[in-house]
Amino acid sequence: MLSHFVGMAVVRRPPASLSSSAALHRRPPLPRPVFSYPRSLFSFSSPLGKTRICCSAQRQALFNRIAPIYDDLNDLLSLGLHRSWKRMCISWSGAKKGDRALDLCCGSGDLTFLLSQKVGLQGEVCGLDFSREQLSIASVRQDLYWKASYQNIQWIEGDALNLPFPDCYFDAITMGYGLRNLVDRQKALREIFRVLKPGSKVSILDFNKSTSNLVNTAQEWMLDKVVVPVASNYGLSQEYEYLKGSIAEFLTGKELEKLVDEIGFSKARHYEIGGGFMGNLVATK
Amino acid sequence: MARGVFSLLFRTGIGSGSGGGGGNGDVFGKLLSDILVCPLSRQALRYCPDSQSLISDSIGVSFPIINGIPCLVPKDGKILEDQIKSTGNDDSAGADSGI
Repeated sequence: MLSHFVGMAVVRRPPASLSSSAALHRRPPLPRPVFSYPRSLFSFSSPLGKTRICCSAQRQALFNRIAPIYDDLNDLLSLGLHRSWKRMCISWSGAKKGDRALDLCCGSGDLTFLLSQKVGLQGEVCGLDFSREQLSIASVRQDLYWKASYQNIQWIEGDALNLPFPDCYFDAITMGYGLRNLVDRQKALREIFRVLKPGSKVSILDFNKSTSNLVNTAQEWMLDKVVVPVASNYGLSQEYEYLKGSIAEFLTGKELEKLVDEIGFSKARHYEIGGGFMGNLVATK
Repeated sequence: MARGVFSLLFRTGIGSGSGGGGGNGDVFGKLLSDILVCPLSRQALRYCPDSQSLISDSIGVSFPIINGIPCLVPKDGKILEDQIKSTGNDDSAGADSGI
């Protein structure tokens, strides 16, 4: 749960070789701009101070560092509750036997494996993530915790902002602790909208940015007094300090509902779970 | 596309994690090219068995398949070295440029 920072699909500046004039003269140029990022995200003078993780490369490096102890920390910090939240996320997605499903920002595969069991051998599941390291872990877990249904999984290294799927392709989409970490959430949601079949749903689980002062205070206390100290035992306190600022910059449930409504989803509902610490957005195309 | 294709591939020894070697790899690669599209142009991909990669002819970029996992992040793409165009662009020698 608290370690699910993977799959932040970000766009990057191309290396110099692509932009060299020699390369451009030899062949047609790639669509421009291929990689871009909001300038505001690169400011280091944020009120969040040193905890602000700005550029995409830093984020990816952060998530790669926490990858090895990721799953263990999930269990420890949520006392195992993250498993029930993820089951709820799957249930809300409406995935059923024979469906074609997508788990975005799949990380080490928790939601992918649940989807796999839900859709069965006549279904298909794509687990997509930006991080090769996380997909490697997912692949190892696939073998380690083997269930027959896991045959229906295909791992894909990909960008949530540029999905490699045709329009109207999936019967269900899930995303766990990924949306908050994407540099362009609107674009990611538009891509989700594009690849969903009409009438199908996306179910997005993440931290809840609450409008209740009580919940916010409790959440901050939890992060400051429990999460970061525990993470520091693994030498990762700085990586987890990122969380508080990340949640503060996220959208509230109402804001998320409004965003998906503007994109064109026919229905949207944000459910608060886990005592208000977590939230699950369900949107129908 | 028929349902349950990933499972079918797995049972025949092909699929994610298999490495996609030899003839089985060709089946796997062909399947991937049927399912996936170019992340940038959203046009069809073509499987190249020699380089074991997925080619986006629309933008002249190839994406590798590594350990059975297609790598379709835009930065993973490589500009094709010899792109044959009907407009008659010259073929160019030299190393691939990474994106």
